Amino acid sequence: MATNLTHFEIFGLEPAFELDRSALAVRYRELQREFHPDKYASKSEREQLLAISMAAQINEAHTVLRDPVQRAAYLLKLAGVEVPPEQTTADTQFLMQQMLLRERLEEVREEPNPTAALEELAEEVDGLCRGEQRRFAETYAAGKLSEAEDSLRKQQFLVKLQSQVEELEADLFGD
Amino acid sequence: MALLQISEPGQSPDPHQRKHAVGIDLGTTNSLVATVRSGSAEAIAAEDGSVILPSAVHYASEGITVGAQARARAAADPYNTMLSIKRLMGRGVADVKSLGEQLPYHFSDSDGGMPTIETAAGPVNPVQVSAEILKKLAQRGRQALYGAEGGELDGAVITVPAYFDDAQRQATKDAAKLAGLKVLRLLNEPTAAAVAYGLDQGEEGVIAVYDLGGGTFDISIMRLSRGVFEVMATGGDTALGGDDFDRTIAAWIADQAGLGTNLDAMTQRVLLDSACAAKESLSRFEQVEVRHGDWQGVLDRETMASLLDPLIDKTLRACKRALRDADIGVDEVQEVVLVGGSTRTLRVRERVEGYFARPPHAEIDPDQVVAIGAALQADVLVGNKSGDDLLLLDVIPLSLGLETMGGLTEKLIARNTTIPVAKAQEFTTFKDGQTAMAIHVVQGERELVSDCRSLARFELRGIPAMVAGAAHIRVTFQVDADGLLSVSAMEKSSGVSADITVKPSYGLEDKDIARMLQESYTHAKEDIALRALREAQVEAERTLESLLIALRENGAQLLEERELSELEHAMEALRLAHNGGDAEEIRLRMESLNKLSEPFAARRMDASIKRAMRGHSLDEFDK
Repeated sequence: MATNLTHFEIFGLEPAFELDRSALAVRYRELQREFHPDKYASKSEREQLLAISMAAQINEAHTVLRDPVQRAAYLLKLAGVEVPPEQTTADTQFLMQQMLLRERLEEVREEPNPTAALEELAEEVDGLCRGEQRRFAETYAAGKLSEAEDSLRKQQFLVKLQSQVEELEADLFGD
Repeated sequence: MALLQISEPGQSPDPHQRKHAVGIDLGTTNSLVATVRSGSAEAIAAEDGSVILPSAVHYASEGITVGAQARARAAADPYNTMLSIKRLMGRGVADVKSLGEQLPYHFSDSDGGMPTIETAAGPVNPVQVSAEILKKLAQRGRQALYGAEGGELDGAVITVPAYFDDAQRQATKDAAKLAGLKVLRLLNEPTAAAVAYGLDQGEEGVIAVYDLGGGTFDISIMRLSRGVFEVMATGGDTALGGDDFDRTIAAWIADQAGLGTNLDAMTQRVLLDSACAAKESLSRFEQVEVRHGDWQGVLDRETMASLLDPLIDKTLRACKRALRDADIGVDEVQEVVLVGGSTRTLRVRERVEGYFARPPHAEIDPDQVVAIGAALQADVLVGNKSGDDLLLLDVIPLSLGLETMGGLTEKLIARNTTIPVAKAQEFTTFKDGQTAMAIHVVQGERELVSDCRSLARFELRGIPAMVAGAAHIRVTFQVDADGLLSVSAMEKSSGVSADITVKPSYGLEDKDIARMLQESYTHAKEDIALRALREAQVEAERTLESLLIALRENGAQLLEERELSELEHAMEALRLAHNGGDAEEIRLRMESLNKLSEPFAARRMDASIKRAMRGHSLDEFDK
């Protein structure tokens, strides 16, 4: 590890869920301009190695911060709460809803207009995701960590569903 | 009397201060070298005026020839003439067998899994063959930069296809090492092409680079923003190119001429040649006459389009996938760049223009564009140009994973992740008192290990003996800016770093390279010990100089007095070793100095991040 700073500290941000993505992108490029190994190509081996590990840390921080679910998990980790991605939720109502959504996904191919049906489903899942993100932002900011944790678990479910929707989308368009 | 030399403001007053760097396009069929002179990049021509060096090497008992002369011998002496060697780089004996019909060589296995080819001049491997091509190009570069008196190159940027996996990249870097070149960076070919077009001068936006060569297709989607190229996604097809166009047209001729399908090799060759000629003519003419024996017919653009379209469709589907990976729509692409000889085919241009709904860039010779981009990047990396206006952020083209129970892969680093990247994974022991473990690293997108490419097997030794499951070994996988993997490991509770032995699946081990270098030096009558000493001294000078600057900058703020005096001690010891002339001693002193200065380096990093942040946070981040 080239630096002991947290992902937020590297980007000069206060730890928070809300974040300005375009400012993050600008800041990312500034950091890489300074620390990318290309800037050290004619320096000593030692400095080159340090630059590689620094740039890798900046990339990792960028990847985590720009993705809402990873960012949420990282915030909880900083607060001492580790949420493994495979953990389930105890909310039976939520689980039931997930099951219904999954069933609809499996039946999309049989719909008279599969593309439209899939689009509708995708929008619904995206909406649920945004809702959970809002809930996470609120509960985290209020210090209600166990509620935030529950919201993160649900987001992990929804993200998985989103990627399944995308896979089917690719399938339907024939590539 | 010598004339006074007056330099432009901001430029080096002493022309000898300027570093000499080249960009090299090491191609399957042809290779080129380019450099930046008086501010512009151009390909360097040989004495006969040709800029292209055929990637051919001929081995005879009386010596090695490279280039056009070597290619000319291919027909008469196929077993000793190496063509298309790039296809064997980083490949194993099994891959070679599948290519076997197309390559006439006598292969023999070697222990590294890398194929060895028997020639009249003894056994050679693909890395050595590539090194011969690189040596020839480097020599061309030296001649152009220094003239007859000669001199050393300060560094080279060598291009590789974006889809090249770790083994293929490593093989390329090893070849450069054998050729005595200092590799500043392995650069992806499409990225080099985008640089050549100077698109970094333009405004912000998304660029697509469409690269169709003789045997491969590559698509890269990048975002440009104030001189920073961020590769967002790459994709392609490693078995689709202009050769397939020729085959399709040849099949059409055979069909029209009523030749049937069971043709001998000679006829096939003749058909392919007429197909290729017809394809090239149709870029200029509406239709061409084709003859074969007594048969005579006409191929027009429309017919060729209908023959090629299914193949071009495949490239456009790959474009679509790459756009999806990059998470953008086709209408967001602002510039399209064409690379590779096969983009000369008119139909390809039409279809690309149709798909992206804008005319593609093709102003720079598609055969030279990659070498020119590499030369521009080499000029920046070697330090001739302030790099403020150009930075390339590339991605890893294929996912890296580990073998788990049941021959399945567990993905560790996903494809299209920006490099450099580092990921740590924790492992534990399976048995009481276990002190070693093996890790198998593979590259590819498939779930079964057997469907991915095996990169290397790592063996961890020296794990402290504990009960099963008690040892926590943290293994860090790092991919550097060249796209090359390195691995380190540490047992967490004891802090013991485990020894790692790397066994590359298709590559050379360090000791092999050392041996081959030794052999090549014996040939060149150069003293390898002297060279090793010089290298160690240069590295020691760099280390000392950078540390001195760092200490002057903030040694007082960041170090305690005791730490400072320890560092100064170690620096003095390195200085003494440097003057002493023992390479091994220098290495040892350098290592201990590096270890000692590690905490200082980390504190400096933290400080510079904080400094880089100052003046930003308030206006930009507070909403």
